[in-house]
Amino acid sequence: MYLRDLSVINGTSGDESRVRSFIKQQIQGKVDEVWEDRLGNLIALKKGTKANRKILFAAHMDEVGFMVTNIDEDGTLCFAPVGSVETQVVIGKQVKVNDSIPGVIGFKPIHLQEKDQLLRPPKFEELRIYIGAKNKEEALRIVKIGDYVNFVTEYRENGRRASGKAFDDRVGCSVLMDIIDMQQRYENDVYFAFVVQEEVGLRGSAVVVEQVRPDVAIVIEGTIAGDDPGLEKDRWSTHLGEGPAVTFMHSGYVVNQKVFQAILSVAEKHGIPYQFRRRTQGSTDAGRLVRTGPGTASGVISVPTRYIHSPVCMIDLEDYANTVRLIEKILEEGEVFAK
Amino acid sequence: MNTKELLMQLSNLDGPSGFETIVLDAIEPMLAKVCDRTWRNKVGTLVGEVKGSGRKKVGIFAHVDEIGLVVAKVEEGNFLRLETVGGVDPKVLLAQRVKVYTKKGTISGIVGTLPPHLQKEEHRARFPDYDKIFVDVSCDTAADDVRVGDVCVFDVKAMEINGKVCGKALDNRAGCASLLLAAESLQRLRHESDVYFIFSSQEEIGGPGAGSIAYELELDEAIVVDVTHANVRQSAFPTIKLGEGPVLSVGPAIDSEFYKRAVETAQRNGVKTQIEPIPGRSGTDTDQVQITRIGVKTLLVSIPLMYMHTPVEVVDPKDVEETARLLALIVAE
Repeated sequence: MYLRDLSVINGTSGDESRVRSFIKQQIQGKVDEVWEDRLGNLIALKKGTKANRKILFAAHMDEVGFMVTNIDEDGTLCFAPVGSVETQVVIGKQVKVNDSIPGVIGFKPIHLQEKDQLLRPPKFEELRIYIGAKNKEEALRIVKIGDYVNFVTEYRENGRRASGKAFDDRVGCSVLMDIIDMQQRYENDVYFAFVVQEEVGLRGSAVVVEQVRPDVAIVIEGTIAGDDPGLEKDRWSTHLGEGPAVTFMHSGYVVNQKVFQAILSVAEKHGIPYQFRRRTQGSTDAGRLVRTGPGTASGVISVPTRYIHSPVCMIDLEDYANTVRLIEKILEEGEVFAK
Repeated sequence: MNTKELLMQLSNLDGPSGFETIVLDAIEPMLAKVCDRTWRNKVGTLVGEVKGSGRKKVGIFAHVDEIGLVVAKVEEGNFLRLETVGGVDPKVLLAQRVKVYTKKGTISGIVGTLPPHLQKEEHRARFPDYDKIFVDVSCDTAADDVRVGDVCVFDVKAMEINGKVCGKALDNRAGCASLLLAAESLQRLRHESDVYFIFSSQEEIGGPGAGSIAYELELDEAIVVDVTHANVRQSAFPTIKLGEGPVLSVGPAIDSEFYKRAVETAQRNGVKTQIEPIPGRSGTDTDQVQITRIGVKTLLVSIPLMYMHTPVEVVDPKDVEETARLLALIVAE
């Protein structure tokens, strides 16, 4: 499992190079071909024994983060979210600007706030990053407009649970790397696409189909859980510890029935626990793969992840292991899978 | 140890009001090296005594406690509900790692958040308050050890930002650091007063830490060292700036003669100071100490600090050093 390494690498949408280098370094020599495309996607091929059919697995390398949009006279930085992040999770956090400069996002102390400020979420334009610079000139020596910003979060494992940042979707990247590590050859040609810019509108995956022309695709995600007191029980999406989550529909895509049913039957055949993703909010690269070129029948399998799009997410490691197993068994199905 | 390291070490220690032992255990050996004797009073305040000629008794106060949280309820699935110890802004809690101190050890938890995908207008419009905030400790195998009443703190490590120190609890570990540094330099200075370095408990909840020891010691004078808001523009008040030196307050909670003496001492010795007018209660231990026994002449010295009561408080080590220098000079006169 590569999640420990992947989680702490900074790679906001548009700034995935560090994640890409790490993955490339790890998978080189274990696949038959690996290339970077024009947009920065990393695509690998493990050739099949029959080679009549192509299956594509995709996971996105990018994470939500921020970008420096301006520098104030007092040396603090204005910033905007890259991808969907609420201001609710940013106040009082340590960050890193441009993968190197430490900073913090503070707020007016509680003692000085007006009564209506206490529970009113501020807008991003009301927040600043402090990097210890006395004024704009000093700040400009170490940062610039357009620099990317990430949360600083340690990766931790304890018992069955792991926590850290960027699990959406380094979890997916790690799962695919584990599959590559098995160094098995299957009937199908197997393509692994580590794509860029999912969080800003499913952009990287848009150019994958043209390069691969897959017969079927499966997207691996770290998806919303919501199985906590923040929601009524009947509104929970997935439950940690109950196995990989299979998507029947999400924003902009009703999952191809053949692929959906094929995933379920593989899980059942091998006794792999699974659950449905019981909410339809949010989207994945499957919604893009199905829309590009001739269209690709795509499925989505996810590791349930609590608190995504925040500085600290949580997964159950058994869910992770069962996701790897499910994909392994899908590959073992060979040419008949979802045919 | 340099000031930066001292600040980071003290920031990383956990000690919400009423739970200061860990911090005191770290400070006491350092204090013992530079004092004649040390002891703790009944309500958990630590004192270091440096004898002079006994002409006058001066206490220098810094509170050791920090804001924190306490487990008020344990729910099914290893979720906890919290109440605050001191003023903790709910806005800084979401998606924050926290530590819970149980009887058996420390548990790691995460303050949960609803992902944007599942948020509705009602969630976006308003931060969850303490009725809604919960801690998820399911990520710790010892989660079942948590009991109601266990204390909880931000789980953050102090760091350096361009020469400044950033972390939790610098309110008022910055003050504690300045007392330790002042005690050290006082060893090289002649002084007539008996000087007491006081690390008081429970300031953040307006507790008995400072008042009780002021009573016990029968002080003539007290200097309270705390932190004050830096780099916040408040209309009609001077903006206190980080890195511009200790802040001397004026107002009813401060003895005006003592203040004048401090300003003169600072000027004579080239300590740059800032001024903060406080028209009423100071919100520091000064308020309590001043009205103890027959009254104590008080001085309030504050260290500029940004983002007070958040996990990312910021101080400039230079301000802490200059505060220490000023404290030693004032009591050595």
